[in-house]
Amino acid sequence: MGAPSGNRVGAGDAGGRRTGEPARLRTLAARPGTLSLLILVLVLGGWEAGGRTGALDTFFFSTPSVIAVKAWTLLANGDLLFHTLRTGYAYVAGVVIAIAIGATCGLAMGWWRRFGDVVDPYVVFFSAMPRIALFPVIILIFGIGDLSRTVIVFLGVVFPVLFNAYIGAKQTPRLLIDVGRVFGYSHNRLFTAVVLPAALPYLIAGFRIGVTLGIIMIVVAEFLAASAGLGQQIAVTAQSYQIAEMWAWVLYTSFYALLIVRGTDYFERWAMRWA
Amino acid sequence: MRERSLEVIEVSKSFPTAQGRLQVLDGVSFSQARGEVLSIVGASGSGKTTLLRIVAGLDTPDDGVLRLNGREIDGPGPERSLIFQQFGLMPWLSVVENVLFGLAPSGLSKTEQADRAKDAIGRVGLQGFEDFHPKALSGGMQQRVGIARALAVGPRLLLCDEPFASVDAMTRQTMQTDLLNIVTREGVTVLLVTHDIEEALFLGDRVVVFSSRPARVIEEIDVEIPKPREHSVRTSTGFQEQRAMVWELLQATA
Repeated sequence: MGAPSGNRVGAGDAGGRRTGEPARLRTLAARPGTLSLLILVLVLGGWEAGGRTGALDTFFFSTPSVIAVKAWTLLANGDLLFHTLRTGYAYVAGVVIAIAIGATCGLAMGWWRRFGDVVDPYVVFFSAMPRIALFPVIILIFGIGDLSRTVIVFLGVVFPVLFNAYIGAKQTPRLLIDVGRVFGYSHNRLFTAVVLPAALPYLIAGFRIGVTLGIIMIVVAEFLAASAGLGQQIAVTAQSYQIAEMWAWVLYTSFYALLIVRGTDYFERWAMRWA
Repeated sequence: MRERSLEVIEVSKSFPTAQGRLQVLDGVSFSQARGEVLSIVGASGSGKTTLLRIVAGLDTPDDGVLRLNGREIDGPGPERSLIFQQFGLMPWLSVVENVLFGLAPSGLSKTEQADRAKDAIGRVGLQGFEDFHPKALSGGMQQRVGIARALAVGPRLLLCDEPFASVDAMTRQTMQTDLLNIVTREGVTVLLVTHDIEEALFLGDRVVVFSSRPARVIEEIDVEIPKPREHSVRTSTGFQEQRAMVWELLQATA
């Protein structure tokens, strides 16, 4: 996805020395946001023109205008909300549980070394395993429903979170631990006072990888087995050649993914505001 | 003789390395009176910091005994606090939170902790910076936070591990004077470890000279400069003579 990536980079303040219309237009045109938008307009315009002139096969690609109408219909008739909630519910549940368990286990493994040494081989095994291989088993056990999807998202998110937390806890600076010990912190108390906050950058990195992987996992899970949901709708519309609607679902799904990634950016900046 | 504070008796310590055991401390003995500032000088890597870590309770000696106010040292304790060479501030905590970090295990009430933190921050001259994070402060100011944190707990023995080695030269001299004023005014017992002879003499009532590895006490010197000391004593003849003497001693062991 070539989505506009914000306006942090690029030359934003070019021009603007002279006053009057042309100078103002030039300043506006030089803004990265404006340029990003321009690219979007060009791509959509090209797509639309390609579809109308027959240069693009509308059977596969549809056209932006038709897709936009479909997208609007899905929004207006409540389909979007319905499927978003089905997917969102499983996604959020899976992510929250994975972070709670992954972060706790990873940090504990890093700080209570004996525990870490015992659990380590299992973690390595499960994280190395292609988790998609487990999908049929999971669906067999948990059925076609929210529970399967939650479990699948959980499996996608838990390992990156856990691994990062594990490394983060192990990398707690010796100096900071010594400081805690000098001031009388017990081993257990050092965990919350020093290890947890020191590992925060690692936790956030794991969280970032996890939420992105979680999106992929849930969409794939819904391709395979689901009675509702964004991925299920993409699969169903594609299989029944409702190409415009399929594209509408793809775009909505991408939009949600973008929101999640951006949300993670803001969360990271907030959580690391002291750094 | 004033009341004994710290007694270090025949302390030895070695560490395992790939080339066998490395003897770092070899039968180190000295003692310190209450209210005294004792400087330990030695070459870098001479085991000074190891000794300090043992006194702090962060490491255990292979051999020997340490007592503080008559009680054997067995792990860290609230009556000792340490100023770290690399400051050791929690980067995610503000200045006041870093000072409170040292007070948290004390069992004092929250208001008492807050009062003590405020007081300690005032003593090191950091009023107005309470809510800053370490990253926003200069090295010297960060070490002031480290000093405030160490003072706030009201230690019977303040341990200083090369406290100003990570601070620029100009700030170092100012901070040495400030630290000296604080500990003199409050009668804190201080054990200072440094490789800086001038710092050892300027701050210390007495200087213990360590041989290079393995560390042994080769000399104990009374610093014959009356307190309170001003920055200007550094250029006095007496100071320079003692400085030359310590330098000779260190050279002889190298």
